[in-house]
Amino acid sequence: MCRFDPIASIIHNHGGTLPTLWKITLEILRQRQNQPPHVELFELEVDPDENVLDCIERVWAFHDRSLTFRHACHHSTCGACGMRVNGVEKLTCITPVREVTHPNGVLRVEPLRNFPVLSDLVVDVSGFFQRMEQTQLSSIAPLSQAKLPFEPNPPTIWQGQRLIDCIECGLCVSACPAANTSTSYFGPAVLAAAQHVYRQTNNPTVMQLVNCADGLWRCHSAYECSAVCPSNVDPAWRIMDMRRATVAHSLRNIFKRPNQKVAP
Amino acid sequence: MNSRPSILIIGAGFTGCALAHDLSLRGVNVTVLERGEIASGTSGRTHGLLHSGARYCVTDPEAAIECITESRILSQIAAQCIEYNGGLFVALNDQDLAYSAAFEQGAQATGIPIERLSPQQALQREPNLNPNLLAAYTVPDGTFDPLRLALAFAATARQNGAVFLTHHEVQALHADGQGRITKLTAWNRHTGQQQTFTADLIISATGAWAGQIAAMVGASTVVKPTPGIMVAYNQRLVHHAINRLCPPDDGDILIPQRRMVVIGTTSFEVENPDYIPITAEQTEQMQRAAEALVPAIANTQRRGVYMSARPLIVSGSSGRSLSRTFKCYDHEALDGLPGLITITGGKATTCRIMAEKTADLACQKLGLSAPCRTKDVPLRSYRLYYS
Amino acid sequence: MNQPSPRNILRWFDPRHRQPGTWAFILNRITALGLTLYLAMHLIVLGKLAQGPAAYDSFVALAHSPLVKIGEMLVIAAGILHGLNGLRVAITSLGFATRYQRQLLWASTILSGILILIFARAMFLGG
Repeated sequence: MCRFDPIASIIHNHGGTLPTLWKITLEILRQRQNQPPHVELFELEVDPDENVLDCIERVWAFHDRSLTFRHACHHSTCGACGMRVNGVEKLTCITPVREVTHPNGVLRVEPLRNFPVLSDLVVDVSGFFQRMEQTQLSSIAPLSQAKLPFEPNPPTIWQGQRLIDCIECGLCVSACPAANTSTSYFGPAVLAAAQHVYRQTNNPTVMQLVNCADGLWRCHSAYECSAVCPSNVDPAWRIMDMRRATVAHSLRNIFKRPNQKVAP
Repeated sequence: MNSRPSILIIGAGFTGCALAHDLSLRGVNVTVLERGEIASGTSGRTHGLLHSGARYCVTDPEAAIECITESRILSQIAAQCIEYNGGLFVALNDQDLAYSAAFEQGAQATGIPIERLSPQQALQREPNLNPNLLAAYTVPDGTFDPLRLALAFAATARQNGAVFLTHHEVQALHADGQGRITKLTAWNRHTGQQQTFTADLIISATGAWAGQIAAMVGASTVVKPTPGIMVAYNQRLVHHAINRLCPPDDGDILIPQRRMVVIGTTSFEVENPDYIPITAEQTEQMQRAAEALVPAIANTQRRGVYMSARPLIVSGSSGRSLSRTFKCYDHEALDGLPGLITITGGKATTCRIMAEKTADLACQKLGLSAPCRTKDVPLRSYRLYYS
Repeated sequence: MNQPSPRNILRWFDPRHRQPGTWAFILNRITALGLTLYLAMHLIVLGKLAQGPAAYDSFVALAHSPLVKIGEMLVIAAGILHGLNGLRVAITSLGFATRYQRQLLWASTILSGILILIFARAMFLGG
């Protein structure tokens, strides 16, 4: 039993049966604000079915209180706990340890890419949210519009509303190679949000926002965003669908009389 | 007061954020210090049920009336993050059915609109419910996104001048020469540096951690961290909040949220709410409770499991029968420590009224006459917190 | 640092931890660079035509060296890969068959492989 990690005794004290524990090494990329980053190692005993966020929380609680990280809901609705785990973007609250390492293995945790790092695993998402707000995306939508159009309708006669799929976690922005080299690119989440707004409202105002070199047309089809999205948004599909809508709209405009034209 | 009075709030959960919103509307300079992220304590991990109050209409009518009033207000001012689809109370056996008379009486007495449904009607609305259900009632419940609700309050407060400093952990409270608490030292966890803050009044809105803050100056605050477990599943099997028709019990609520359903919860005490491990026993208990309401959960993958530490006010007993109301501790009156107030207890649905009562007390102490306006002011977009 | 930056351009070519879509993205860029380089060289060669038969003939002699043949094979491979993946990108980029981008990728890769083998056979084995 690793003497630095009290997980076994805590579970025992709460009257729980002890699961089979794995010994792993957590490699966390750490830095204080405006200081250069460095890697710190933490040895932990973990339940392979618990989530990566639980391990990080335990490092904070029992090993190092200076560790900073973002989290809130612990069940993939808030989008706060996105990080890179072994190089891949994950929502750490729903990523079981079993999925990303093995007994005596290493778990490397780093902050998201393409966001400024405030400290340790905390990134500055203010620019991201400012751009999202420009699209005026509503977090609540009718059931039929909240899903992707090619998904089957939910099996209920009752029409209600629900929180939409996008939890604004930023994993797509972190994985996007275009976002990696351009400070002005809107990023997949914002473009997907614009598509969602357009399909719900049919209002071309949001089209004007994203129909530009730094918007819809900066995407170069890596499809990494849809691969890492934990929440069924499929931003790549939404970007291409918005392109189709934009081109169709522009073509229709060509054949309209001048006083009937609608920008863009 | 020659200029605007200043207040420091410790804690940016629902209470801290709603309080910052209320006070900034009343013309106070507010600074909020939070050691983690917005709602990274109990508030972020709340089940997410916007209580109609029906759950308490028999056992705790005062709490029920508070809930129906506040849930209606929140559904107006915070519509941006609430799935306001209503809820169902379902009776699965004769014991549940026997509760229905008291339930109907309680709902009428507390002004909560309910409607009885036959099993067929209930199953039409919710095909995945246990087909052996005996009766159901509709109630005006809702589901909300915990972080975005807190952010909506915080965003509006920021737009009105409040300052939020996340990742700032309060380490010590200091009294001046007259024994008045006017200063605190906080650790900026981004930089690793210490900083001092002063204010006319300090309010601890730290929920389950209120005891730890109060202990810094020997003030009295008795709050029992009382966690409970929640389990989230990978499919939206219901569209209404499903409650078991019975007195409040473990695992009697299943809510939908985005593409998930979440079952909760249990109730047990801990000393230190900083880290609460998940035990297999509690997870299995919730699994069984969920399957009783919606059998299809047996074939649904688990998405997440988590614990949240309620701040329950001690009133002599322990466990589930603890009072669900909230309490303002005026430490000047209680402990001879002017300059410090603690607000703790309560639940998410009542965060606005908790803030109102606390702000009333705070303004009274500062000699500020300003009425509460939060009932009527719609909250700004939660994204504006990041502007 | 973690910020987006034009200096991260080398990260465009880092396929670690990424999905096949990104590998196609990277390969498209490498083949594009290769084809551009080839175009430049091709223009230089054509320039030699203007310098008269002697200059051109001496170059053609060089062209029979195995290194140049391999280079030409690489150019053909680059052209095929870039072209077929480019078709996939063109189709999916305008919102058609976007949901099948992965299947289209496998199809274009397999087809590219077959065509490259056919060309290689023709170039190195004659006939």
